[in-house]
Amino acid sequence: MMTDIVIETKGLTKTIGGRNVVDKLDLKIKRGEIYGFLGPNGAGKTTTIRMLLGLTKPSSGEVRLFGKSIGKERVALLRKVGSLVEYPSYYGHLNAIENLETIRLLLPGVKKSRIDEVLSIVRLTKDAKRMVKGYSLGMKQRLGIAAALLGEPELLILDEPTNGLDPSGIIEIRELIRSMPARYGLTVLLSSHLLSEVGQMATEVGIVTKGKLIFQDQLEVLKGRSKQQIHIGLDDRQRALSLLHANGFKAELSGGSLYVPQGDDKRIAAIVRMLVQQGLEVSRVEEQGDSLESVFLHMTGGEGEL
Amino acid sequence: MGNILASEFLKLRRKMVWFLVVIGPTGVIALQALNYGLRFDFLMKQYASDPWGYLMINVSNLLVPALLMGMTIISSMIASLEHQTNAWKQTVALPVGRTRLYLGKFGVTALLLLGSTTLAMVGTILLGLLLGHELEALPWKSLLIAMYGSFLSALPYLAVQVWLSVAISNQAVPLTIGIAGLVVSIFVLNGPSSLDWLPWKWPFLVRAEPMYSMVAGLLTGAVFYLLGTIHFVRKDVG
Ligand SMILES: Nc1ncnc2c1ncn2[C@@H]1O[C@H](COP(=O)(O)OP(=O)(O)OP(=O)(O)O)[C@@H](O)[C@H]1O
Ligand SMILES: [Mg+2]
Repeated sequence: MMTDIVIETKGLTKTIGGRNVVDKLDLKIKRGEIYGFLGPNGAGKTTTIRMLLGLTKPSSGEVRLFGKSIGKERVALLRKVGSLVEYPSYYGHLNAIENLETIRLLLPGVKKSRIDEVLSIVRLTKDAKRMVKGYSLGMKQRLGIAAALLGEPELLILDEPTNGLDPSGIIEIRELIRSMPARYGLTVLLSSHLLSEVGQMATEVGIVTKGKLIFQDQLEVLKGRSKQQIHIGLDDRQRALSLLHANGFKAELSGGSLYVPQGDDKRIAAIVRMLVQQGLEVSRVEEQGDSLESVFLHMTGGEGEL
Repeated sequence: MGNILASEFLKLRRKMVWFLVVIGPTGVIALQALNYGLRFDFLMKQYASDPWGYLMINVSNLLVPALLMGMTIISSMIASLEHQTNAWKQTVALPVGRTRLYLGKFGVTALLLLGSTTLAMVGTILLGLLLGHELEALPWKSLLIAMYGSFLSALPYLAVQVWLSVAISNQAVPLTIGIAGLVVSIFVLNGPSSLDWLPWKWPFLVRAEPMYSMVAGLLTGAVFYLLGTIHFVRKDVG
């Protein structure tokens, strides 16, 4: 069924200053998914999200929400969407309830009691009557999420929602987001530059770099692809690389760091012993998990940059 | 539309704007009260032929610059509410057309200034009565023209200020342009009638040429309002 695809973009492109900041993006997000939209700084995530919401017009290509083109039915479509873009917006001289009321007035059919509901969802009930300019960054972020939830959206678009939150705040928001599709039947698009973070919530992942979508599939597929590596920190990496290659070990230098493939303990021990015996100063031997960086390096053949 | 205005007015809670709306006309009336108080006997004799008419001239000579200043400052304050934390991206992503959002911004600004104008009118009447002018002799039509006519003639000015304040996040730009406009209008206010086509002159011209000034103000204002809307609809937000 057509409406089972909640977000679909076709050849979505945004050109700024002659550069394709977003380059022929074909996103496809199904109902009920938590879609992790990943990419390094400047990859074009926020720009893409702004086009999804109609804040910016695409240079070419099309955005379809709930199967309908946003160009034509923007207002009707946005009624079903809640969003938080980049950093939270708020009116500092108003308290949380008043802030949400300015938004509720523009959302047809949302009852006043919904304000208390969303405030309790993001745990701001206690501070609801304080002026928002006195809030911490994390509280403002939570108010932004409350605002996004106010209209009981079917689609929630959150741009780096854990930005500025402390660890307990991050866990709280993560739990909240993870529970949403089940509890409210939501579809969530979530951007981040940390795979580790998205990895704990997302069911589906899209990776964008330099405006291009280089991966879009289930999280499991991505995890399968991310190869484990060992990072070796030492002084003369160039010489170490030649030594390793000369002794028949696989190794690569990327981003100025030396990596060898994950392997059994004996082989790693042999590598370290050899390097030390050759007079190199080995300061670190560490496993590189499925950080975005290593996945990136893997996906872009060692030439990806963060 | 009612909801958009309700939302805009809610955003003004605890804001200085209300103070300005009241202090502007109050200041103008207070200054005239002082003026009359200091030279009461002299002025009464001087203005004996048309006491209400002279009072209106005196009030509106101060009121029009105050109104233009108010248009500059209040437009900027209303737009700043959104600029401060870039709330535009939140507002524009709501299910409301941008045309209506712009109308809301313009509407709330215009209503506040109409409020000030009404206060000035009430103040003028009260001051006149205090000075012993007779209510029966009050020329209502001239009073309405001096007050709301000035407002209508100044609409191009308001439309430009709202446009600039919304379009440019650095409020130094609209404030500077608004103040420059005020200076121009004071320069041309007593200029020759060959300068009557200048929009800056209309709010002062309205007492002498009410129809021309009000119609020209309304039409030119509508053009700038439309241009501002078109720009806002097309603008990238966030
Ligand atoms: N209005 C603009 N003018 C000029 N350049 C822009 C503009 N908007 C975006 N860019 C450029 O487009 C690129 C993508 O920016 P975008 O904000 O979409 O990245 P992002 O993936 O959200 O990054 P981050 O993780 O840092 O938030 C950047 O190189 C940025 O400099
Ligand atoms: Mg971003």
